[in-house]
Amino acid sequence: MQDTTFNALADLALESTGQFIASSKSYLVEARLSSILRREGFASCDDLAACLKARPNPVLSAEVAAALQTRRTRFFRDNDMLERIVGDVLPRKLKLSKAGRIKIWCAGVSTGEEAFSLAILLHEQERALRGARIEILATDICRSALDSARAGTFGHYSIQNGLSVHRLLAYFDELETGQWQANEELRRAITFRHHNLIDAEANLGQFDIIVCRHVLSGMAKSIRSSVAERLSDSLLPEGLLVLGHGETLTGISNAFEPSRRHRGGWDAIPAARRVAA
Amino acid sequence: MRHCLIVDDSRVVRKVAGRIVANMQFDVTEAVDGADALTKCRETMPDVILLDWNMPVMNGLDFLRALRRETEGRKPKVVFCSTETDKEHIGEALRSGADEFVMKPFDTDILQSKFAEVGLV
Repeated sequence: MQDTTFNALADLALESTGQFIASSKSYLVEARLSSILRREGFASCDDLAACLKARPNPVLSAEVAAALQTRRTRFFRDNDMLERIVGDVLPRKLKLSKAGRIKIWCAGVSTGEEAFSLAILLHEQERALRGARIEILATDICRSALDSARAGTFGHYSIQNGLSVHRLLAYFDELETGQWQANEELRRAITFRHHNLIDAEANLGQFDIIVCRHVLSGMAKSIRSSVAERLSDSLLPEGLLVLGHGETLTGISNAFEPSRRHRGGWDAIPAARRVAA
Repeated sequence: MRHCLIVDDSRVVRKVAGRIVANMQFDVTEAVDGADALTKCRETMPDVILLDWNMPVMNGLDFLRALRRETEGRKPKVVFCSTETDKEHIGEALRSGADEFVMKPFDTDILQSKFAEVGLV
């Protein structure tokens, strides 16, 4: 791949999704675009970039940008934090909630493993949560990943990565294609929507908990701060942001501080109390 | 170091699984069928057994039932590893005493995940 091609595709990813791709990762660009190249009949990334330059195609550009994103996910990834959300954060929030309704937003869910993991834990804790109304909104920028997540279907490798055989038997059924599908109750527990975290106009409402794991760390530093700002606007008062293991907003955004009430979570700082970063 | 016994009549599967499990810091021994595995368990009971279903002489299910009747036979975690992946077969393996189930083919992530499920990673 020519340097000019890499630069054009890296710029496209940055402008469309906020993702930063280092030049040392050019091999990832080729790997992640291989199915689009095949489908569209391009011999190489150079041909694709030249075509996008000569004949701008917003739909294809958006698809290319989404395909360039990191999609590594698995069931029950960083499970300690998920269990803390269900076993500790939710019961506390429910005590404070008059309506008994909790809204959770899982941002950047890719093919849905994280959202389904959360839905499984909620189902297992149903009795402890005393019939509370818990809504899960799961979003991603990649429409093909969302289609797969919405169908609740998982392939041979992903269904066995992080999911115990007991949960497999309890919540999934094998399809004739060899894929496994989450049962209807689990699928009904999650609403999937297309959403771009860097789109300032896209407002999804406000949430008690936002789970946004291993998404911000893939973004350019210059963009993380504004995305964090928007996430803080999407939190209800006393709301909690959950990032991935090892991710931090310290030194990146003045909109959040490590939560004193919930270990591993982040509390939004009211605008009046924020200091310049 | 913990000890894993890999039971499979395929030399290729034993070799591939053995390499993955050795990288997970296990001592690895091999058995070619259920009868061979039972003899080896009576000599030294492993911490975990990666067990194939269809084998000559004694299949995985018969071995598992016999193992669980041995004095120390409750000790090893047993991860079944099979191409029989319908719910009925998986359920039968669990009812017979398996702790986890791997659907073939597998890779490093799957074996690590399943060993973690039984508390070995």
